[in-house]
Amino acid sequence: MKTIALLGQPNSGKSTLFNALTGSHQHVGNWPGKTVERAEGYFTYGEDLFRVVDLPGSYGLTANSAEEVVTRNFVEHGNADIVCIIVDASQLERSLYMLADFAGIERPVMLVLNMMDVAEQKGKKIDVQKIQSLLNIPVLGFTASNLEGYSKFFETLKNAIEKPAKISSAKIREMSESSPVVALEELLDGLDFGNREKFWIVSKLLENDALVCAEVKAAVKPELWREIQNVLDAEDSNGGLITGEAKYRFISETLREVTAASEKTAKLSRFDKIATHRIWGKFVAFFILVITLAVSMTIAVPIIMGCFGLQGVVEPLVNNVLGSWPAVASFVNSVVVGGLAVTVAMVGFVFAILVTFGLMEDTGYLARSSYVFDSWLSRLGLHGKAFMPLVSGLACTGGAVCGTRVLDTRGQRLFAMVLLWSIPCGSKVAVVLFLASVFFGSAAPLFGIVYVALIFASFWLSAKLFGRKLVPVDERVGMIMELPPYHKPHWKILMKTVGRNTREVFKKAIIVIWLISFVFWVLSYSRDGLVAHSLLYRIGNFIEPFTQIFGMRWQLFISYIGGIFSKEASLGVMSVVFSSSSDAFSLIARNEAGANLGEMMRAAVSLPEALAFIFASMFNIPCVLAMGTTYRETHSLKWMLAIAGYYFAISLGLAFIVYHIALWVL
Amino acid sequence: MCLSEMKENQKGLIQKINGDSRFVSRVVSMGLPPSSPFLVLQNDGRSPVLLYSHDTMIAINRKECAQIDVEMA
Repeated sequence: MKTIALLGQPNSGKSTLFNALTGSHQHVGNWPGKTVERAEGYFTYGEDLFRVVDLPGSYGLTANSAEEVVTRNFVEHGNADIVCIIVDASQLERSLYMLADFAGIERPVMLVLNMMDVAEQKGKKIDVQKIQSLLNIPVLGFTASNLEGYSKFFETLKNAIEKPAKISSAKIREMSESSPVVALEELLDGLDFGNREKFWIVSKLLENDALVCAEVKAAVKPELWREIQNVLDAEDSNGGLITGEAKYRFISETLREVTAASEKTAKLSRFDKIATHRIWGKFVAFFILVITLAVSMTIAVPIIMGCFGLQGVVEPLVNNVLGSWPAVASFVNSVVVGGLAVTVAMVGFVFAILVTFGLMEDTGYLARSSYVFDSWLSRLGLHGKAFMPLVSGLACTGGAVCGTRVLDTRGQRLFAMVLLWSIPCGSKVAVVLFLASVFFGSAAPLFGIVYVALIFASFWLSAKLFGRKLVPVDERVGMIMELPPYHKPHWKILMKTVGRNTREVFKKAIIVIWLISFVFWVLSYSRDGLVAHSLLYRIGNFIEPFTQIFGMRWQLFISYIGGIFSKEASLGVMSVVFSSSSDAFSLIARNEAGANLGEMMRAAVSLPEALAFIFASMFNIPCVLAMGTTYRETHSLKWMLAIAGYYFAISLGLAFIVYHIALWVL
Repeated sequence: MCLSEMKENQKGLIQKINGDSRFVSRVVSMGLPPSSPFLVLQNDGRSPVLLYSHDTMIAINRKECAQIDVEMA
């Protein structure tokens, strides 16, 4: 088996190539011990099996972020048989920086000039053969989004592996000949750096690259390191300018003879003028987001309706067949069928979010929305790209969690998920406002205002607790972002990728949802459907002295627990526990509030208790689907439980504070 | 002068990037090493500056623009 490492800048089409090559034979996890996502896949060509490692996208190879450290380590020390560098042919000069930064690492390499079709449309002529002879490595010009053109890719790949070719840094060295370079080379004389040329090490020293600095420091005597340090200190950050300029000179020399372009003056398109406008741009983003969510709902609602409709048909059937074993029938209906229905229904929304977000990313619009919102989100340490997923959390937390894929680093994604859990979806808002209006009537809108303020306060808290760890402050740089040109969406690849991801989300989510449904079912099952005979009642009563600290009697506490399953379930649970109605008690019933729930509650629950419950509901764990998708997207049970624990603590903490203040005031 | 002082539709050349090596490496790898020609596409005095260089549209925060010395071309 041969291993191919895919290396390329963001927007170079690297993931399109990766997805087209590996299809459904891929695995996404985490690099051991790192908060960096690791994507790996397999494909066969002829009789050979190939492993593809999709390295995290970065603009260069200097190890400044966790992603770049992973990429560098793999490129330098990993077990790749070939490194495949993907560049955007329509932005060749800038894109080739990755190749120039790689030059000097003695590993077999091939170069893929992707998006040749776009380059052609732009009027660029690129002589691929000539680039190949100038660089002396296999070079392929193709279009990754065109699934018919892959035979050429496989051929080039095969040749590249059979006749390995490396790219040297000699030319870049010539162009950066300067006193610090010469001085450092002399100081490093006689040292061996394995598969990296000495100039490459020198240039990374000049760029103050953490990995190379540590490596050289460990390899030389302290006196020598001091001398090296003196040279570097004299240059300060200029070192990176010397090498950077040389790398681009190397690129433009190479390209001088091989490309021809009709000179066009760049201009902002009419749409971009509005889309990047300080004020109008925000309106456009909101407008597109509203349309996006409307489209998502249009896709999702029929699936959701169909699902619960089907559940309504299946349940009596199950009761019929398993009538003589009521416990089994209840288990099948609540856990197996109910869990499946909830999952399929909600996965409809995940699918819709993935399609619409994929489209926004594919067409290049997402970068525009990031541009106009970056100043808001950078205060939290997030990239402007987080805007769309965060706002779509208002529609569905679980779906929006999948939408965080648009973020580039795993730290950013995890942090965005933490924030997302505090953003209420439609159902949560409805439940909170319903309860507020039951107890406080016309003062209910006040709760809306307090709620919004609390959400921002929770952002602040999360930024303090998680933000610094997940998005290290010294890695935050103000926005320097590429706004990629608009593209036509690649429907075929998009739908394939979305389909596969939706299946993956489903597989992980259903496990979590079934597990939690099962636990909830066990807790709430009783032979006769009476609350008092359920396990939860006994536990609830047992811990009531404790939960009362938070202002929750057992009825309220188990309603709160029901709210973890879904927001509607907390009302359903309440309808049962506060009434003597004949409804069977279940934590996972998707009941709406009973007809006279308001009246019953006003009679049974005191105002301080109601306040405690309302505030606890605001920051309660969103729902079982959010837990499922978070588990799938973080690839880590630990992280999902950590986030759940965090919100469990916040919501109870808030209930505690509110309850005791209310007891004192009212 | 610094990048944010450039007006819309003016052409310029990057002269020097001031800042720590992390910042320099970021700007260089995005395609703006010294002596790169560029065109200012948008500079409204408040939002990040939009410029065009090496076939790419790049947005740079105003604070970061102040760290990039340029000359008119």
